[in-house]
Order: sequence, then structure tokens, then C-alpha cells
Amino acid sequence: MDVDDQLTPALTLRGVSKRYGPVVACDAVDLAVRPGEIHGLLGENGAGKSTLMKILLGLVHRDAGTITRGTEPVEIDSPQVAADLGLGMVHQHFSLIEPLTVWENVILGDTGRIDRAAACAQVEEVSRRYGLPIDPHARIDRLSAGERQRVELIKCLRRDPSILILDEPTSVLTQAESAELFTVLRRVVQAERRAVILISHKLAEIMAATDRVTVLRRGAVAFHGATKDTTAQQLARQMVGREVSLQSESAALGLLPVERPEPVEGVAPAAGNAATPERPAALRLREVTLLVGGLPVLDKLSLDVAPGEIVGLYGVEGNGQATVGELLSGLLVPDSGTVELDGRPVDLVRPGALHTAGLGIVPEDRHHSGVVLDMSVAENLVMKSLAGVTARGVLSRRKMHRIAQRQMAEFNIVAPSPDTPLRSLSGGNQQRVVLARELSAGPKALVAAQPTHGLDVGAIEDMYVRLRQAAAEGVAVLLISTELEEVMALANRIAVISSGRIVGVLPTAEATAERLGMLVGGVSH
Amino acid sequence: MATLGIDGTGQRLLRRLNPGPGGWQVGLATVATVGVALGLSALLIAVTGGSPTASTKALYQGSMATPAAWSTSLLYVAPLLLVAVGACVSARSGFFNIGQEGQVLIGALAGAWVGLRLAVPGPLLLVLVLLASVVGAGVWAGLSALMYRFRGVNVVVSTMLMTFLAQQLISFAVNTPWLLQESRLGRGTLSPQSNPVPENARLASLGEYPNLQLNGGLVLAVVVAVVLALVMARTRWGFRLKMVGLNPAAARHAGVRVGALGGIALAISGALAGLAGALLLTSPVGTNRLQPGMSLNIGWDGLLVALVARNNPLLAIPVAVLFGVLRAGGSFLAATGVPSFLVDVVKALLVLAFVAPPVVIGMLRRRRLADQPATPTTPTTPTAAVASPEPGDPSVPATPTASVPNPRGTAPEPPDPGDAGTAGTKDAMEGRLA
Repeated sequence: MDVDDQLTPALTLRGVSKRYGPVVACDAVDLAVRPGEIHGLLGENGAGKSTLMKILLGLVHRDAGTITRGTEPVEIDSPQVAADLGLGMVHQHFSLIEPLTVWENVILGDTGRIDRAAACAQVEEVSRRYGLPIDPHARIDRLSAGERQRVELIKCLRRDPSILILDEPTSVLTQAESAELFTVLRRVVQAERRAVILISHKLAEIMAATDRVTVLRRGAVAFHGATKDTTAQQLARQMVGREVSLQSESAALGLLPVERPEPVEGVAPAAGNAATPERPAALRLREVTLLVGGLPVLDKLSLDVAPGEIVGLYGVEGNGQATVGELLSGLLVPDSGTVELDGRPVDLVRPGALHTAGLGIVPEDRHHSGVVLDMSVAENLVMKSLAGVTARGVLSRRKMHRIAQRQMAEFNIVAPSPDTPLRSLSGGNQQRVVLARELSAGPKALVAAQPTHGLDVGAIEDMYVRLRQAAAEGVAVLLISTELEEVMALANRIAVISSGRIVGVLPTAEATAERLGMLVGGVSH
Repeated sequence: MATLGIDGTGQRLLRRLNPGPGGWQVGLATVATVGVALGLSALLIAVTGGSPTASTKALYQGSMATPAAWSTSLLYVAPLLLVAVGACVSARSGFFNIGQEGQVLIGALAGAWVGLRLAVPGPLLLVLVLLASVVGAGVWAGLSALMYRFRGVNVVVSTMLMTFLAQQLISFAVNTPWLLQESRLGRGTLSPQSNPVPENARLASLGEYPNLQLNGGLVLAVVVAVVLALVMARTRWGFRLKMVGLNPAAARHAGVRVGALGGIALAISGALAGLAGALLLTSPVGTNRLQPGMSLNIGWDGLLVALVARNNPLLAIPVAVLFGVLRAGGSFLAATGVPSFLVDVVKALLVLAFVAPPVVIGMLRRRRLADQPATPTTPTTPTAAVASPEPGDPSVPATPTASVPNPRGTAPEPPDPGDAGTAGTKDAMEGRLA
């Protein structure tokens, strides 16, 4: 605890821990939030930010530690208690009902008679006090993301919370809207002595808007101090900083083989040669822009993957990498820009065009677009290459079985028979089915989006071996992942995505925690 | 699924007929619920002052007792089966068509127009009538596909609403002298109906037996059912159709034009309903005239047939026979004084009895799985067809993770048992990652 501080913290957490099975989500976290300050909470995915906030809101029960409100120890065991204690939260994803108006959304959850005039007056009063201009009679579905954010804020501020928690509030806002938001927050803090907890992974935001900052890493507090005494570089290092432990620890967990694969013949060791200009890219995204509701999810994104290399697309969730995956699955069509395979642009409007052009994909959500759960293993294996198993439009079961059996043996797919419905297979085996189908088509490039999400250790290892093998055979592999270990272990180059843009491409050998952290935080060089 | 295995030995066939885990439960439960439905029906008849035994007897006499009764039953089977097979096709694609009642009428309208307006000699006229009904109703149903394609109109809603439009159209046609209203003979008043279609546009019976008539329509319907069952089970087109129905995103991903295929399925389903309408016009079910009420609710009942047959065209054949029997028996029963709506109630009870068990058992199973904690279970055992266990084999206990704080939150995954089970697992996973 800092000695220079005269004030009693509005909220103090001491040694708060939470475990989920073998996983420690929060490990003896100390946090003190003072009235009149904005406290930044910085951390990557899975660092424990959300769990900590859920504990504060009474949604999750802690295993150990104490929470003190002012000077009194409190027990927050339900959201109601949290509200009574003056804790209010604005969630990252809006919880507004679109066909309803602003005032209707604001009073949602109130009990008693609906007084429309009073509700509108209150909305106007709050909006005037904090400088959040909004028309109480406007319908939510007509509002921009920034205006919706205002409604969420009004919803929260109306209850007069003494501690306001904002979870990634700028993820859907434009630059100007973000600046406006921070002005409002500053006003809330200074004029009314409220406390604000700002959860973010954006370094610039934390540096600009907060008074104090706490960095969480793997559930534990990695850094704590006044924002003015620190630098973005320092924070970046603290947020990511695990280069020392990375390889050895992963190996100890059995997650990765320790030795890195030998670069194959003809593939330059990508280290130190980020551009690799001498080889044409097998997969190229050129200035791809994709707008959702007027906001760019992908903003002139350009990326090259050469044959035989694995490029890791890394970034914090919600920065557009999921969109890249969907785009390359043929589920989205960009507003501008092209996707090229072997130098030829692909017509993304035509279904299956990417597949025909030689792009294999292991989609992020395999149940959504990767497999058909109610069809058999064999059917799932051949569904993209039906021409090979049909004669004059009639399917040959025999051929289907032969192909399925071969691929099942080759890719270690464990299933009683090719006729087994895919639904009854384990997640790892379902993923192997997807990989088997995509690799058997002989792709020029392979996109693997979060390929190990939810898989067990054995299946993860298997996936890593297959991806390396594919690259060694000359396939251009794009690995989209939010797991740094995964990217570091597999990729030759790491492309960091932030706010829908590639902010930097580093050879893996040069990817230090600080540089990655800066890039992930949206600060390019 | 009970598709016939042409490439299989008896063992393969048996395996495919094996309903899988829970199948026998569903079978038993169906027997039980049908029993309950019959009991309830008997009770209902008794309560309304009838005699259950006499009613059962009347039902039997009217539908199965004599060759003549069978002839009547089978006359109803053909259109019911055609509508049901069409419903199977559209349901398989996920583009649910429930506007068969209207499509039946449109088919009859198109058929009647061709039959009455084209002077073609011989049985060619019949062929043209049937073709016209197929095309007319197919296009009619295709309109719904277009509305979906260009305006995003829900297919279920549009096909249903088009039914009411179709009814008005028929009504207009048979009330308009220059269109299809019957011609004036003498000074009588004109009824809202068309002239009867000429003899050479009617479906004849096959063979000459005393009292027994096997209408050509039945043969046509059974052939259509078998052909479509084979097409759906055995062809690339059927494979794609199934994919679109089960997972449109994956189908699109695999290069299928989902909208186009769904539209075609919708049109086929409409075309078959139209053919059913043509059968109602040309076979001796009715008066061989176009009349506003001539669809006889065949469109709705055909949907029920598909529902009970669980969208399997082959299974639809016996179910359609059952419904035909109930229809013929029902009319006979009404003649004996039991209110005819009771037959509808009995039919509804039977449909519920057939449809409810798989749904309820599926729900119970899912709830049971959701209640279970996401404990690691060993996946299904490998067979000889699969290579020997490898390092990545999840059935081989992998590196111990439990003792080490694991940042990935990976636990040995349970198999995906179903939607609810998956959701439970996902929640657990996200909890660990949070």
C-alpha cells in the first residue's frame, strides 16, 4: 500500500483468490480503489480481470481473501448486495433492448408503477450533469455505438454508484467517442469523488486516462503503482512478461515439445527476415476492410503468408482476429480489399470459392461452420470433395468408407466406425476430422483459427505436430490465436492485430515481451 | 434410418436399422403413448354418449372391412403421401413449407384449367393435367423462396399465408364465368364450381376387380416416395440437401449454394402438393370438378403424416395408409351418428402420441447430461480399423495436469453428447479461462 495516500480507499481487496479446478483465476490479488481516482486494470485474456470483477459484483464467490468497503469488511454474495454497496458496472457487451427507447431501457428492472415523465426527466438530468447528451425517446436500434455506451453509462450512474466499473468500454467506440468518454469519467471522478475501475488492454488508454494502474498476469498482481510514475514500455513488459518462463514452463506442462522444428529446405529461417520478399505469398490479404454498423472491424488489413511458413496472428480478443477467421471461412464478405491465393484474387461472394482456390481452414467455432454434428464421420470427411465419391450424381458409400478409413488411420481419429455420428466424438477427434478433411484436399494455404480451443493436452500436441508438418510440406499456415505460448511455439513470424489493423510483424526470435506488449496494446513502434 | 441398403449385408442393414442409444426407449414410449391416446379416445366417445366398441367397429367397417372400404381408404392415401413426401424434402433442407393446403388447391386449379381448356385427345390430356399441376404449384411455392431470397420473408410464414391467397384465387376462378365456372345448362342457378374434367383427363383404376379399385394415383405416389427416398439418401444432391438442413453455415463453407438449394427443395415440395391436388381432381375421391373445398384438408393432414414419419419418405407410406384409413373410417363413423369432429380429435391424439416420445426422451436425456458435472470421460473405444494408440490419443491418460496450475484451462475433454451437454462443457471451459 502506498504511504503517500491520505485517503481511505473506497474499496480494498486483500488476498482474493479464486480457483476453477486446477486453474487459478485469481491468486491472492490485492487491490485498493480510492475515491476521486480512475484505477486502471490491465491484463491479457485470461489474466483474471473478469473473474475479479465478477467477484466484486457478487456473481462469483471467492475462495479466500477479504473485501473491505470503506473501513468495514463486507461479504458480496449476490448482485443485489453489490448494488446496495454502490458498485455499478458497465459491461463490455451492451445489455440494451434494441426495439425499446432510451428511457425504457434505463428504467428496466425497476419495480412499481412506470412513470414515463419522471423517467425521462431523470434521464435528462443525468445526461446534463455528466455531459452525456441523449434523447430519452430515441430507440436504441437507431443509436450509434457511442450513444449506446452513453445509455449504459446513464443506466449505471442513475443509481448513484460510488464505485463505477467499466469493462473494455472503448472496444466499440471510435477515437473521438473514446476521448469523450474519458472526459465524462474524469468529471465523475473529480467533481463527485467517485471511484472508477477501468478495465482495458489498451496501453495508450491506460496511460492517458488513469491515475493508478494494476497489472494482472495469470491471476496475480504483476505490477501496481501510480500511472505517472510508469511508462507504457514498463506496463507492456509486465502485462506480457513471461519470455523467460515461456519455453521451459510449457514443456514442463507437456504442452509443447521443447525443440523447435528445423526450418525446411528452401525456407529461410524467418528470423531477421520479416519481409521475405524473394518468395511470393501463398496467402495474401490486401487492404481488407470490413465494416459492422459503420465501424471498421477490419481496417485496411494486409498480411502475407509464404509457403512453408507459419505466421501467427496474435492479439487480444475482440480486435478483429475472429473476423479474419470468418472472412477466410467464406462466411463474411469484406467491404473492400482482396484475398489472394498464389497471387490470384478470390471471388469471396461465391460459396466454396476459397476452398476451390486452395485454402484449407480449421474454423474457430467448428460446430458452427466446421462440421455437421448430425452427420457421420465419413460424411464429414468427404463433404468438401463430393466429386471424388460420386458417379453421375450418385454417391458411392464404398468409396466414402475407403477414404474415411484411410484418413481416420492417418490422422488418428478415434471412432468406432466411419458411420458414427460426429456428435458422439470427443472434441479432439472432431477437430482431427476437420484437420484431416482440410489437409487431405492438398491446400496451398491453411488457416487455423484458435485450433486448440477446448482441446485436451494430447489433442493439442497432435494439432501442433500436424501444423508443423503441413508447413514443412510447403503449406502456408496462418495461425490465428489469442494464446501467446501457442503463437511463440509454432510461428516463424508473429503479426500483431489491434483494432482491426496489423500493427506490427515480428520474427518470433525478436518478439520480446515488451515489443509484443506494446503492439498488443495498440502502440506501434 | 430405415433406408434400404443395396450394398450391404444383413449385418449392415441391421446396424443401420438399430435405432441407437435410446431408440428402444422411444419405441416403447410410443407404444405406451399410443395406448394412452386410444384409451382417451374411447373415453371421449363414451363421455359424448357413443359406444366405443360400436365406434371402433364402424371405423373398421368404413376403412378396412371390405375391398370397397379399402378402395376408399387408398384413394385418400395417394394425395396424403405425395404431400407428406414433399414436406419431407422441404423439412430436410430446413426451409419448412407448411403451405401445402394452398399448393394442393393451386395444383388442382392449374390441372383443371388445362383439362377443361385444352382439347387434347387421349391420355395425353391426363399427362398434361398432371404436369400443369406440378408446374403451377411448384412455381407457387417458389414464390415463397423468392420472397425469402429478396426480402428475407420467413418461409414458414409466407407459405402459410399464401394458402389463404390460394383459397381466394380458387373461389374467384369458380365464381367467374369466363374463367372456370361451370357452364349454364337450362335455367338452373350456377354453383361455385367448374365443369367436370373430361373422361380422358381422369385417372383410371388399375385392372378390373369386383369392388376393389386400385387407383393409378396410389402407384404414382408410392413411386415418387421411393424415388425421392433414394435420391435423398444416395445422391450428391441429397447429401447437400441434408447438409443445408443440418448446418447451413457448414454447407455454405463447403461450397453449397444454400439459398438456391433451399428454394429448389421448396419448389419440389410445392410441386408434389400440386400433384396431390391433381389427384384429388382426377381420381374418384371427389366430383372431378374444381371446388373451393376440394382440398379436404389433405395439405394439413399430409404435414401431419410427415411429422409422424419423422421426415422419412419411406416411413411416410405406412403412416399415410394409417391416415387414409382414419379418414375413410371417419366418414363412415360420422354416418353412424358419432360426431365427425371426434375423428379429428382421435387423429390429433394419435399424432401427439407418435410425435411426443422422441422429443420428451431427448429432452430428458439432455437434462440428465446437463445435470452431470463436466467430468472427464474416456471417449469411445477405438476399433481395429483405427491404428494403434498414439501419443495424442485422449483415451490414453496424458500428462498429469491436475497438480500444475494450468494457464490454458485445459482439462481432458468429455465427448460432445449434445447441444446442452456441449453448452455445459463450454461454460465450464470459459469459467476456467476467465
